[in-house]
Amino acid sequence: MAEEQLIQEIVSGNTLAFKTLMEKYQERVFHVAMGFVHLKEDAEDLTQEVFIKVYQSLSTFNHDSEFSTWLYRITINTCINFVNRNRKKRVLQSIEDVWQSAFNQYDKEKTPLEKLITSERNLLIKKAIDSLSEKQRSAFILSKYEELPQKEIAAIMNTTEGAVEQLLQRAKNNLQKKLNRP
Amino acid sequence: MRTENFIDDFIRDEKQTEPNPFLTTRIMAEVEKMQQTEIKIVPWWQIVVFVASIVAVVFLGITLGNSYINPISQEITMNINDNEIENFGYYSLNSHE
Repeated sequence: MAEEQLIQEIVSGNTLAFKTLMEKYQERVFHVAMGFVHLKEDAEDLTQEVFIKVYQSLSTFNHDSEFSTWLYRITINTCINFVNRNRKKRVLQSIEDVWQSAFNQYDKEKTPLEKLITSERNLLIKKAIDSLSEKQRSAFILSKYEELPQKEIAAIMNTTEGAVEQLLQRAKNNLQKKLNRP
Repeated sequence: MRTENFIDDFIRDEKQTEPNPFLTTRIMAEVEKMQQTEIKIVPWWQIVVFVASIVAVVFLGITLGNSYINPISQEITMNINDNEIENFGYYSLNSHE
């Protein structure tokens, strides 16, 4: 079924059509959410929140843009709001994750010391990504996690391709600065 | 370059994370719950009309009650038939022979 027809069916109340649409885009939404929250459970909660919002506001989608563009916009905004709401809780969660993954008994390939080093490095990377500005972070996640072209990112963020290129360059520089600091 | 490799490795690991296979079921359950809630919600204007109609009926009842006039007069009148009254003079005499 073509996407437009699918959307029409959903607006008419066909929940099976909504399930089809959700299965098509679920993984993309989940990966973007992972880029923002770095936790599987939080990313799942965000994915649910995004699709509920989509279901509630699908009748207002006026086909000015692609459905995926509209969906990514909702995802980005929902993720940013979630991160801002739960800032303190997430700092503690990240520290807990370092210890958990360091003592993960199921990863037999690395020694405990290697696991600890990897966990701490990942924590630093997470913190560095989280410290980027909202726009830089959004552009970075769409580019690196979803591998979207700059043209599509510009449509999602409602800006120009040049601005997206600048945002990505600044994000890259900021990350290197933060991670290369002694 | 090494930093970039670490970042790429980190992102690759996160991208390999897969969502719970029951996530779709969970979201559909939430959607169906929402649909049922939508049916039960009464529009606010219906509630307002309902309350206003009760108030109007009570007010009408009070107004009707207050406008009722009792046909029976509250004043007390005395109908005295002079022919049947006993001569009170009898009670003032000392003897009644």
